[in-house]
Amino acid sequence: MAVEIPTELEDLPTSKPHWIGREVKRVEDPSLVTGRTEFIDDVVLPRMLHCAILRSPFAHARISKIDTREAEALPGVLAVVTGEDALRWSYPAVTAPEGWGTHCIATDKARYVGEPVAAVAATSRYVAEDAIELITVDYEPLQAVADPFEAMKEGSPLVIEEKGSNVMLQRTFTWGDVDEAFAAADHVFSEKFRWNRVGANPTETFGAICEWDPMDLNLTVRGSIQSASNFGLGRVATFGLPSNRVNIISYAHGGSFGGKGGTRGTDVACLLSRKAGGRPVKWIEDRMEYLTAGGSQAWDRHYEASIAVRADGVVTGLRVKLVNDIGATGEGFGAINTAKPLAAFTGPYTIAVAQYDLTLTASNKLPESPCRGMGPPPHFFVLEQMMDIAARALDVDPAEFRRRNFIRADQFPYTIPSGNEYDSGSYEEVLDKALELAGYAELRRQQAEALEQGRLLGIGVASAIEPGVFDLNVYSVVGMQGTGVPEGATVSIDILGMVTVRVGFTLEGQGQYTLVSQIIADYFGVEMDSVRIAPLDTRSAPPSFGPGGSRLGVAITGAVLGACERIREKMAIVTAGLMQTEPANIELMDGRFRVKGVPGAEMTVAEVAGTMLARSDLLPPGIDPRPEATHVWTAPGRAPVDEEGRTKSYLTAAQAVHVVLVEIDRETGQVEILKYCLCDDCGTRLNPATVEGQTDGSVVQGIGAALLEEYAYDDEAQPLSTTFMEYLLPTINDVPLIEKVAVVTPSPFAPLGAKGCGEGAMHTTPAAVMCAVNDALAQLGTRATEVPAAPHRVWKLIREANEKPQGA
Amino acid sequence: MKPARFDYAAPGSLAEAVTLLAQSGEDEAKILAGGQSLMPLLNMRLARPQLLVDVSGLAELDYIREQGAGLAIGAMTTKRALEQSELVKRRQPLLHAATVLIGHPQIRNRGTIGGSMAQADPAAEYPAVALAMDAELVVQGPDGERCIKAEDFFVTYLTTALEPAEILSEVRVPELPAGTGWSFREVARRHGDFAVAGAAVTLRLEAGRCADTRIVVFGVGDRALRVDEAEQLVDGEAPTSGLFERAGTKLSEVIEEPLSDLHASADYRRDLARVLTQRGLAEAASRAS
Ligand SMILES: Cc1cc2nc3c(=O)[nH]c(=O)nc-3n(C[C@H](O)[C@H](O)[C@H](O)COP(=O)(O)OP(=O)(O)OC[C@H]3O[C@@H](n4cnc5c(N)ncnc54)[C@H](O)[C@@H]3O)c2cc1C
Repeated sequence: MAVEIPTELEDLPTSKPHWIGREVKRVEDPSLVTGRTEFIDDVVLPRMLHCAILRSPFAHARISKIDTREAEALPGVLAVVTGEDALRWSYPAVTAPEGWGTHCIATDKARYVGEPVAAVAATSRYVAEDAIELITVDYEPLQAVADPFEAMKEGSPLVIEEKGSNVMLQRTFTWGDVDEAFAAADHVFSEKFRWNRVGANPTETFGAICEWDPMDLNLTVRGSIQSASNFGLGRVATFGLPSNRVNIISYAHGGSFGGKGGTRGTDVACLLSRKAGGRPVKWIEDRMEYLTAGGSQAWDRHYEASIAVRADGVVTGLRVKLVNDIGATGEGFGAINTAKPLAAFTGPYTIAVAQYDLTLTASNKLPESPCRGMGPPPHFFVLEQMMDIAARALDVDPAEFRRRNFIRADQFPYTIPSGNEYDSGSYEEVLDKALELAGYAELRRQQAEALEQGRLLGIGVASAIEPGVFDLNVYSVVGMQGTGVPEGATVSIDILGMVTVRVGFTLEGQGQYTLVSQIIADYFGVEMDSVRIAPLDTRSAPPSFGPGGSRLGVAITGAVLGACERIREKMAIVTAGLMQTEPANIELMDGRFRVKGVPGAEMTVAEVAGTMLARSDLLPPGIDPRPEATHVWTAPGRAPVDEEGRTKSYLTAAQAVHVVLVEIDRETGQVEILKYCLCDDCGTRLNPATVEGQTDGSVVQGIGAALLEEYAYDDEAQPLSTTFMEYLLPTINDVPLIEKVAVVTPSPFAPLGAKGCGEGAMHTTPAAVMCAVNDALAQLGTRATEVPAAPHRVWKLIREANEKPQGA
Repeated sequence: MKPARFDYAAPGSLAEAVTLLAQSGEDEAKILAGGQSLMPLLNMRLARPQLLVDVSGLAELDYIREQGAGLAIGAMTTKRALEQSELVKRRQPLLHAATVLIGHPQIRNRGTIGGSMAQADPAAEYPAVALAMDAELVVQGPDGERCIKAEDFFVTYLTTALEPAEILSEVRVPELPAGTGWSFREVARRHGDFAVAGAAVTLRLEAGRCADTRIVVFGVGDRALRVDEAEQLVDGEAPTSGLFERAGTKLSEVIEEPLSDLHASADYRRDLARVLTQRGLAEAASRAS
């Protein structure tokens, strides 16, 4: 049975939506703020043990001998595992690119600081940590590689010897006649950029309780898991189990932002459970484990970019060369971060041809993971700096320069050179509103005035695209296969008209349960309070991916609406039977099934549901009597990539313009944000409060990336950012008031016209802040090309600029 | 991140605490104050005492008193109490200004002045205040009480003149002479972080010329440093921006090579010391009379 998913609010069976589009209170919050929501560390199972992991202090070292006898003898210790157990009972991790995985415990050598070398299950975490101190490991330190250019050199130490090279992937994508565009250009501008490693830092680190049932050969993992079904498949592959013998129970978790990897620790705890005879083993990743060895790091990038520009300020071509240090293995799927830029390679601009020269290398650093935005944020940082470099050279105002190059509202749907299609947009309007909100002309005046007083102000105007609703298809260019990402929901109405929606994901913070309640309430004309959401384990849930890739809000809207449509059709048949008419004459409106054109001939949804479940005598023969339906939504019209990596991948393209005012202390190099304004367009705002929350959080994260956060390593690949004293997250004191306005250009393709908005401002903020920093530095004739723009770096740039002879 | 096994004692008096420490072998016992530095070290197993002597509950060490023209502050007085004390605000503005730069309210609620002095972090604010204010640190040990001047108390990175069985009981901060201008400035990566570099300055004006100038920089060496060469350059001169610039430059030339880390190179720290000294002198002069 094909169902049509409404793409407009007018298509809903309500005369006026009461809930959708309103800033309703989140249904998740009462339990969260009163501490009743259960997180994985709250869970205590009978006979549960606790795991501590012994980690390599060396970035690269052969392990010649491990002695665990003393640890095993410590009272309270039930099991100790080493690489031998991993070899016996598990397979190397599934990776992207393929074939770059190792076992969850180092078997022959350690490849990064923090790699598990052994682990203990004991009656408490304290005892477990005591026990790992009693394990002696003989290491033979090897030369480590911490730099991708060194890693690519002949004779470099190899991270995975069997691969014969540290190059994980090298590919050039060419879209259109790039050489011709650059040859014909009036101006070509080139620059190199460095984006240092940053990453997600959820409030809650990863945690899991693993239970290996030795009789039933069944593995149950409870945990703070973002995508339960994917996580389950990973364990299936790692342990070689039939897929119906792995059950993943996902708990509410305190954020993820891509950081809820946790697979290594989970697999270690699984091995321990098996060795301890099936007792459940809890592993809670502590913050230092997270920062050095968790799903914390992403985007370790070296860029070279060029743009071709016509004399009239139209950008005609873009070349980007990226060398990304992925770290020791491909297990964190950090590589997909480098594929996603294909979904928005040329940003909001009409740049007609482009080229992407992509190299992924291995090093003795932590394997990279996903991070909010997945990969375009550094790409847009580069693109937006290039736009400003060109604008400055041509003496065009940066806002005006962007306007000249924007895709116009009448050009949508618009296919970009790298193959993705943008659904809709009103980029100029968004720009105008952002400039108006910021008082752009006045800011420029202030800047000039400040300069006269010797103060250094900078204004950044940046625009970026947020590709929404990811598809696996584009990730195939780095080795992830598949087309379509199904998300399912089962909607059931009970005998009293109350609604339960069963889903395959759990709370992560973005308010999807609220969204589901809003949709059901408007669709069936009930109170939001009448809707309950039941998250199910992977063995019972409908197919689901869960949150990720600015996707779930749109996808779950599609799934829930699809299920509602199916119920409506079924109920229309039942009502038609009762009303002695044809189903075609029955319509659902404001919670009532009514006979078209016959006032008063109507039944409530609850009455129809009650009839279906309690009066079989009144039902049409052969009808399925459940007021229940499941719908599995996936984006329509997707296909695998062509030979240049082109495909329609992300269904929606949200856009934003951010305007930032900064002041730089020219003696200390400190950057202060004085004003932050933005306008964004993510289509229909199903719950404006949720969108705003996502935006605020994402701006903060972007400021962190631009000015503060950095996972640094020394030349021996020793991590230097191992606590929050070194990895600096923005606090409330570092964040300006964020002023926001919105434009709403609904998506013609997505359910209810809503676009993905979860990753949001992260796409634009680092670019915008750095545009502002560079607008200030341009007054001294210098430019920051490395993020974060930490004070010591800015200080150095200013100092070097001061030392340059005038006019040089 | 769980501490190794330790015993815990919460003595009911300072005397009892001293006895407990004296009975323990060297490096066996550790004093626990607010725990804001010690707890992370325990959790990382970088500190592994056999006994923790918790003095944070000792009311006899929790006070802010006038003592002559100065203040006597009990070692277990929290930073929050100092921040909120009218006495401190009025009589010790430099101490107050430094206090609000330490961490966040949550940290200041627990962290104590004694703990900060004893921790002797080279980038911490309080040791710099002690040096700039010529404070005295009162210590109780098995042999009774002794008084240590700030300049003798801070020895080097995380090391003080405290003997293993000694407890810091009081910090005595003399009054700022009338008309003294002061400044307390730092550059930190974020508000509430330890300083990348900082400067505490006091000076008076005598017939339009600087006098009794004290310049202390912190975050740039193995402990807070008082820099005589820069002070001497300022004393006796008219307070001009040119003078303060020269003093800053002098200071940055005479201090030893600062440390380099993730947040700052040695060169950057040295230059910050220059800038902060210069700005501090100007600010102190503007407050002096
Ligand atoms: C997030 C965060 C941010 C911070 N930011 C700053 C900052 O910006 N600036 C700053 O200066 N500090 C900062 N701190 C540290 C904080 O100020 C600590 O409180 C302080 O360093 C120690 O004080 P405490 O009372 O907590 O002592 P504890 O941690 O209990 O003890 C510290 C050390 O002193 C010893 N000790 C404590 N009391 C005595 C005593 N009476 N006699 C002898 N020895 C004693 C202990 O044995 C231990 O070795 C920060 C801490 C955190 C967690």
